[in-house]
Amino acid sequence: MLAVTWGEFLTSRLHELWLRLGEHIVLVSLSVFAAICIGVPLAMLALRRRWTQTPVLGLVGAFQTMPSIAMLAILLVLTGKTKDIPALIALTLYALLPIVRNTLAGLEGVRADVIEAAHGVGMTRRQTLWMVRVPLAMPVIVAGIKTAAVIAVGVATLSAFIGAGGLGKFINAGLSMKNTKLMVLGAVPAIILAFVVGGVISASEWALAPGRRRRKRGMAGIVMKYLATSLPLLLVAFGVVATMWNPFPKRRYEVEVTYRIGTPGTIRIATKNFTEQFIVGEMMAQLLEARTRLTVKRDFNLAGTMICHEALVQGEMDLYPEYTGTALTAILKREVIADPEKAYEVVAEAYLEQYGLVWLEPFGFNNTYAITVRAADADERGWTRISDLKDDAAELRAGFTAEFSERPDGYPGLQVVYGIEFGSVDDFDPQLMYDAIAHNEVDVICAFATDGRIAAYKLQPLKDDYGFFPPYYAAPVVRAEFLDEHPEVRHVLAALAGRLDDATMQRLNYEVDEKKRDPADVAYEFLVAEGLLKGE
Amino acid sequence: MIRLSHVSKSFDGGASYAVKDLSFDVAQGETLVLLGSSGCGKTTTLKMINRLIEPSEGAIELDGADVSTLEPVSLRRRIGYVFQGIGLFPHMTIEQNVAIVPRLVGWPRNRRQDRAYELLELMGLEPQTYAPRYPRELSGGEQQRIGVARALATDPEYLLMDEPFGALDALTRDTLQQELLALKARLKKTIVFVTHDIFEALTLADRIAILHEGRLEQVGTPNEILNRPATDFVREFFGKPAQQLAAFKEML
Repeated sequence: MLAVTWGEFLTSRLHELWLRLGEHIVLVSLSVFAAICIGVPLAMLALRRRWTQTPVLGLVGAFQTMPSIAMLAILLVLTGKTKDIPALIALTLYALLPIVRNTLAGLEGVRADVIEAAHGVGMTRRQTLWMVRVPLAMPVIVAGIKTAAVIAVGVATLSAFIGAGGLGKFINAGLSMKNTKLMVLGAVPAIILAFVVGGVISASEWALAPGRRRRKRGMAGIVMKYLATSLPLLLVAFGVVATMWNPFPKRRYEVEVTYRIGTPGTIRIATKNFTEQFIVGEMMAQLLEARTRLTVKRDFNLAGTMICHEALVQGEMDLYPEYTGTALTAILKREVIADPEKAYEVVAEAYLEQYGLVWLEPFGFNNTYAITVRAADADERGWTRISDLKDDAAELRAGFTAEFSERPDGYPGLQVVYGIEFGSVDDFDPQLMYDAIAHNEVDVICAFATDGRIAAYKLQPLKDDYGFFPPYYAAPVVRAEFLDEHPEVRHVLAALAGRLDDATMQRLNYEVDEKKRDPADVAYEFLVAEGLLKGE
Repeated sequence: MIRLSHVSKSFDGGASYAVKDLSFDVAQGETLVLLGSSGCGKTTTLKMINRLIEPSEGAIELDGADVSTLEPVSLRRRIGYVFQGIGLFPHMTIEQNVAIVPRLVGWPRNRRQDRAYELLELMGLEPQTYAPRYPRELSGGEQQRIGVARALATDPEYLLMDEPFGALDALTRDTLQQELLALKARLKKTIVFVTHDIFEALTLADRIAILHEGRLEQVGTPNEILNRPATDFVREFFGKPAQQLAAFKEML
């Protein structure tokens, strides 16, 4: 079901592709440069003081051994920052091993008779290092830098998981929305970039190699040599330029603005990593762009509740959509409150007091968990309520998200309240869970009430007759400090309050998840249809 | 003048000696050849003179100054050294190789280039052709000439030569030996020359010092050593090749 052709898709994404490519190159260049600045002196130290060799190589080897995601996660915790800082640190640590190892091997590998000659003609240690060892080791050192840079291109795609820029953003968004085109848009340029980086460094190495047999090359030869030498610098320069200047037009939606309110500034909007968040995030972003003087920075697709929350608390982000139930149980660690209005009040008060964050008016939909079965099964066996499952539970296969299996307001609580124990429980990626039930691999899932696939896959949510699941009403959460400076945000976002009910949200989600449409387009169409933006 | 007094060197804290109680003088303008089979301590002796190796006991004097009181780096820059393995710097051109010591002691660029060209000419290598080349583009004999040129660059009074012609074929070696003799006559350097080749020693030496297992067996002119060998070892050492040579002549 491909709603957009590749051509249209690419054209609409060129602006972002250019930017992400630039970010990727900058991330890789900065981290490799840092790794050279740290790694080469480390290798020289290890050469001079031999006892440091084992600890130095052991340490940089340990960095390399750490799984990338684990390293990023730990750095996220240690630095208390999302985005580029932990990503840069992680990339630098990864780049260290090849650089240190190759530099040391290169410096040590210089022939003993050449070193003896260096001492014999009266070179000091330092002169021996810089005039003899370093130039002779250069090919090996450059090979290490090449390995490091190529690895960094790969690892940099992962740093999007913690909100850093680069091509990984596409891959990540593609994974979140199960959108193959987006994944390809990130993956293919990343692969090409890895080859280009390798090639460019090889070219420069070739041009720099000492003692190459000289031929009469003439002007063309000299130009070639300088060009080859400077290729890596040109690539870095391209990356820097691409992050600052973009030849491709940004997708602009036609908006008829009669007046803009408030003061100029920048608002940084974050979202979690699933479709509904992107759509709601886009709605807020587009409304704010159209109606205020704020510049909007989108940092969508952060990996989960805690990262979004921390980003706001740290003041790195200003706004993101959150759910009352999540706030209550995951952030505030409180008991479930069944009454939606009471839940909202408690959450809003606690957030302001504890974190200096303000809950604006809810959008209207309640994205709670819904124990969901195939509609055909429900008809056949007469299931309408969760408690109807009790007698058949032992023979049913459940497919839950890992989060649902763990959370007290998920399966553990369900077992206690309903006394239901499913025959088997498997963890699924939220995207795959729906496929699993549609393909008969499981019989019960923990769907989200607003998911578009409930209708599309002919599924039937069961009534929560014991009122176990807490309400998950979504609302914008914004930093109080920011709201003081820009009260217009409250005013503009009020236009969305209560406008999105469960059915509407299901429909919008379906447009993105199943029709593979861009969340920005879907959000725009909705806003236009609702008369919130004046479109074509 | 170089003077060694009771010099010993042990690499294992005194359990065994590479060089034991060595004493001899090298007079100004003289060529002294250290001769002996491999492992006899001749290279170790040579390296102690410019402090690439420090003696365990005894003293080495250069023009009356104890070398252990001299700064090793500047000492080495004062003494030309030709290495066993040639040891040219593969990443530098011939010109840069020859001019390395002048560069280390801070000669200006023009003077360095002039000197390099002058030395290449002295070695019979056309400067325009050879200066921009890299060592690997040269034959073994040419490389060894460059090694000698490098040692001569700052016109040092002393030259230490560690089997410089060891790896060359017989013909090339002979040519270079003849060239060295000619150079010696012209430049009047004080040379300590290490070899295991008796004929090379006899060709080049003013005096020969014969080493065996770290000890000095005899020092003297070629004539003295051939006619009045001080020990059985010396007699044997020269006797064997003489027999071989006689046998070889017979065959011819």
